[in-house]
Amino acid sequence: MIPHDILTLYSAKMLEYGIAVLFLLLFIPFWRYVQGPANAPALAPARSRVPVVRAAEWFLTPADRLFHRGHAWLKGGDGGLVTVGLDDFAAKLVGPISRLALPSVGATVGQGEHGWRLTAPDGRSVDMLSPVDGTVVQLNPALEASPDLAERDPYGDGWLMKVRPSRLRANTVNLMADRAVRRWMEDAAAALRGHVAPGLGALAQDGGVPVAGMARAIDPDAWDRLAATLLLTAEEAPDA
Amino acid sequence: MKLNRRTFFKVAGGAGAIALAPAHSAGATTSAEALDAGRRGVLVDTTKCVGCRACEAACAEANTLPGPARSGDASVFATPRKTDPASFTVVNRTAVSPERFAKQQCMHCLEPACASACLVRALEKTPAGPVVYHKQYCMGCRYCMLACPFEMPKYEYDSPAPYVRKCTFCAERQAKGLDPACTSVCPAGALTFGNRNELLDIARERLYTKGSPYVRHIYGENEVGGTSWLYISDIPLDKLGLPAGLGTYAYSSLTQASLAAVPFVLTLWPPLLMGIYSFSRRRQEVEARGAEAREGADNV
Amino acid sequence: MSEHTSVPALTGREWAKSKLFLGMSLGDYLKSLVTPGNFVVGLILAVGLPVIVYRFAYGLGASTNLTQTTPWGLWIGFDMLAGVALAAGGYTLASSVYIFGLEKYHPVVRPAVLTGFLGYMFAALGLAADLGRPWNLPVPFFFSWGGPSVMFEIAWCVGLYLSVLGMEFLPPVFEWLNWPRARMWAVRMTIGLTVFGVMLSTLHQSSLGALFLMAPTKLHPLWYSPFIPAYFFISSIAAGLSMVIVESALSHRAFQARTDHRVDLDAIALGLARGASIVLFAYFFVKLQGVADGGRWALLTTGYGYWFMVEMFGFVLLPSLLFAYGARHNRVTLVRWTAAWTVLGVIVNRLNVSIIAMNWNAPERYVPSWMEVMVSITLVTLGVTAFRWIVNRMPVLRELPEYRDSASH
Repeated sequence: MIPHDILTLYSAKMLEYGIAVLFLLLFIPFWRYVQGPANAPALAPARSRVPVVRAAEWFLTPADRLFHRGHAWLKGGDGGLVTVGLDDFAAKLVGPISRLALPSVGATVGQGEHGWRLTAPDGRSVDMLSPVDGTVVQLNPALEASPDLAERDPYGDGWLMKVRPSRLRANTVNLMADRAVRRWMEDAAAALRGHVAPGLGALAQDGGVPVAGMARAIDPDAWDRLAATLLLTAEEAPDA
Repeated sequence: MKLNRRTFFKVAGGAGAIALAPAHSAGATTSAEALDAGRRGVLVDTTKCVGCRACEAACAEANTLPGPARSGDASVFATPRKTDPASFTVVNRTAVSPERFAKQQCMHCLEPACASACLVRALEKTPAGPVVYHKQYCMGCRYCMLACPFEMPKYEYDSPAPYVRKCTFCAERQAKGLDPACTSVCPAGALTFGNRNELLDIARERLYTKGSPYVRHIYGENEVGGTSWLYISDIPLDKLGLPAGLGTYAYSSLTQASLAAVPFVLTLWPPLLMGIYSFSRRRQEVEARGAEAREGADNV
Repeated sequence: MSEHTSVPALTGREWAKSKLFLGMSLGDYLKSLVTPGNFVVGLILAVGLPVIVYRFAYGLGASTNLTQTTPWGLWIGFDMLAGVALAAGGYTLASSVYIFGLEKYHPVVRPAVLTGFLGYMFAALGLAADLGRPWNLPVPFFFSWGGPSVMFEIAWCVGLYLSVLGMEFLPPVFEWLNWPRARMWAVRMTIGLTVFGVMLSTLHQSSLGALFLMAPTKLHPLWYSPFIPAYFFISSIAAGLSMVIVESALSHRAFQARTDHRVDLDAIALGLARGASIVLFAYFFVKLQGVADGGRWALLTTGYGYWFMVEMFGFVLLPSLLFAYGARHNRVTLVRWTAAWTVLGVIVNRLNVSIIAMNWNAPERYVPSWMEVMVSITLVTLGVTAFRWIVNRMPVLRELPEYRDSASH
C-alpha cells in the first residue's frame, strides 16, 4: 500500500519490467549451468559407484555381477578378464581386515577351491573360495597399502584380483544372478539371525544394519569358525 | 428535532455497546447513517489546554489506577511522557512559547489496527466508538502492540499474568449515558465529547474562519482511516507528539489482501498438487515398465 | 517378496529394554548416557530449565528486554520465525518425494519430516514462552475467533500442521512399536497428509511474513513490502532444502550405526543444492523487484541499506551461486557449507524483519537479554535431544527389513 505518485510511477514500472526481463534472460543459462552437462558423471569421482538394485535385507547385491555360494563375486567386461572380489556379506561378517593373502600373479585358481585368506587384527583368519577357474593376471594394487579397502568397499575400490578365466561358461552354471542372488542373500541373513540369542527378533533393536564384524559380535571366542562355516570354508569337524 | 435525534442515538449507541461488547456475537449490522450518527468522538483543542492534568486524575480515579505522577508539579513536563500500564492518558507539553499541551491516549480508530490484529477478538471496536478489551480472551501475543501506529496498547510486563492496558474511552460510563471521565472534568473546555460528525463541524468552524490561528488540519479526521479522537492546534500538528506520515488508509486493510488469498490456496492447491501427483505417478509407472522390459532382455 | 517376518511380541521389561534402553539393562543404559555430548546437554538444561521457571514465575519484564515499543523479541524472531522457516524441510521433501515423485530423495524424507515436526514443536514452545497468558492458547481455536487477524490464520494453520506432521511421522513410530496394521493405515494417509501439509505450509509460511504488513511505519522500508508474504514463502523453501542438507550430513556422521550406508547422501545433497540454487536465484530477483516497486533505491546507501545488501548479496545471491557451482562440479563439501550458510542467512533475514529492521527509527534498540538467549538455546537443545532419542530407536535413517517391500513411506 505504498502509494506511488504519478510522476515516479512510469519510471518505476519500466524498471520493474526491466528487472523481470533481465531475470528471464539470466534464468535460462543459470538453469542450464546448474543442471550440469548432459553426460556428466553422476557423482564426485572420489567415490566409486555401483548400481544398487534390490538390496536384499541388509546386504548389498549389485545387479551387474555374478555371485558364488562362498560369498565371492565376479564381474566380466574387462577384455576377456574377469574381476573377482568378496561380497558385502563376507565383508560385514569378517569386519576389518589387517592382512589379505591373495594368490600370486600367474597362480591358478579353481572354482570352489581355496581363493584367498583374510586375517583380522586379532590374528584369526578366515579363508574364502574362488568363484572362478583361471589364472590370476593382476592383483589390486591398492590393497597392498590398505587391505581393509576390501572390507570397506568390497564392490568398488576393494576388488581383489583380475583373472583370465579358463572355463567361464561352465563356471557360470554354479554362479547366481539377479533374483537367485536375492533369495540366497535373504537365506544367508536368516541363517545369521538364527545365530543370535533367541528371544529377540532383530539383531539390533532398531533393525539396524549389522555393524562391521558381525561374526565377532555374535561369537567373540570362535568367530572365525562361525565365519568359515558361513563362507563354506570350514574344515570338517572331527567326530567328537 | 436535532436535539431529540441526538439524544436518541446517544442512548441507542450506548445500548448497542452494552449489547455487543459482552455478547461477542457477530456485530449487528447498522446502516452507514446510523453508524455515523452513533459514533462518538472527542475534539481536543490544544489552544485551550492549560496543562492542569485534571483529566489524568479523573482517568486514574475512574479506572482505579494509581494517581498521576507529580500531580500539580509543572516540572513533570520537562520530558515527554508516554502512557503505560498504569496511566491510560498523559498530558505532555509540546511547545514552550506559547505554552501548548496535548493529551495522549488511545485514539479509538474507526478501523483499528489492533482490533483487526487481535486473533481472539479481545480488542474489539464498538459502533459507539470505544475500542474495548475483553481481557478474558487475551493470550498475550502482543500483536496489537506491534500493529498500533500510535503505540497505545501497553503491556504489564512486570506481572506473571499480564494484560494489555489502554484507555477504554470509558465505554462503561458511556453505556450509562455519562461522558468519559476526562472530558467531564476538563475545566478549560479543551475536550469536547459528542457525535464525531458534529465535532468535525465544530472543528471546521474554528479552523476555517477568516483570521483563525489554527493550522488547517484536523488530525484524526482521515489519519489511518479516521480516529475518534480529533486534534486541532495552532502549532504544527507534528509537534503534538502524534505520529506523522500515517497515511489515510485503514491499517486493517494492509493484511486483508494477504488473507484474501487464503481461500484461493485452500481451493486451488489440492487439485493442483493431486494433478502433479497423478502425472508423476503415471510417469513412474511408464518408467518402471520400461525398466522391467529392459531387464528381461538382459537376462543371461 | 519376503513376507513380514513375525517378531515375537515383547512384554513389559523386555519391551522397555528393547525399545527404550537400546537393548541394555536400565543400569547399563543410564551408564551409557554419560558422554561428553550429554554432559553439555545437561549443563545447558541445568541453566536453561531454571531460567524458564523464572520466566513464568516472575513474568516477561523480569526475564526479557521487551519494552512497550518493542513487544516482540528473540523468541518471536528466532524461535518462532526462524524455527518455522527452517522446519520447512518437512513439506518440501514430502512434496518432492510423494507428489513430484522424486524417489531419489526418499532416504531423507523421514529425517526431514522429523526435523520439521521437532522444529515446529520448538517454535510452538518458544511461542508459549513468549506469550503473556499461554494458558489462553485454546481461545483462538475453541472460544473466540478473530477472523480478520493474520495471527488467527497462523494459529490455526500451525496447529493443524503440527498435527499433520505428527501423523506423517506415524509410520516409523508404528514400525518401532511393531504394529503393522496401524502402520499400513498410517502409510495410506501419506499422500493426503502431504497435500494438506503443502497447503498449510504455503499459508502459514507466507502469513508469518504478512504479520509485518501491519507495521509500515515501524519496519524499515527496504524490508517492508507488500510482498513480504511471498518473500517468506520462497525463502522457506530454500531454508528447508538447506536444512535437510545440513541435518542429513550431521546425522549421517553422528548416527553411523543407525544409518543405511547404501544411501548415496552425496547425490542427494547435490540434487537438493540444485533446487536450492534455483530458488535462491529467483528469490534474489523477487526481492529486487520489491525494492524497485517501492522506489527504494536511494535507501541503499544508508547504514541499513548496506546491511540490506549484505543480506541480499551475501546470504541470498552468494549461496545461490555457490550451490550452482557445487552442484555442477560435484563439490559436496562446498554444498554442505553453503547449506549451513544459507540456514544462517534465513535466520538473519527473519531477525532482520522482526528485530533488527523493526523499529529502526526508534531511539532505543532492542537487544535480547541473556535469559532470552538461554531459553532459546535450551529449546534448541531439547529439540536436538529429542531428535537423537527418536533416531536411535526408530527407523528414521534406515528402513526395517520387514517393512522394506510393502508400500514404503
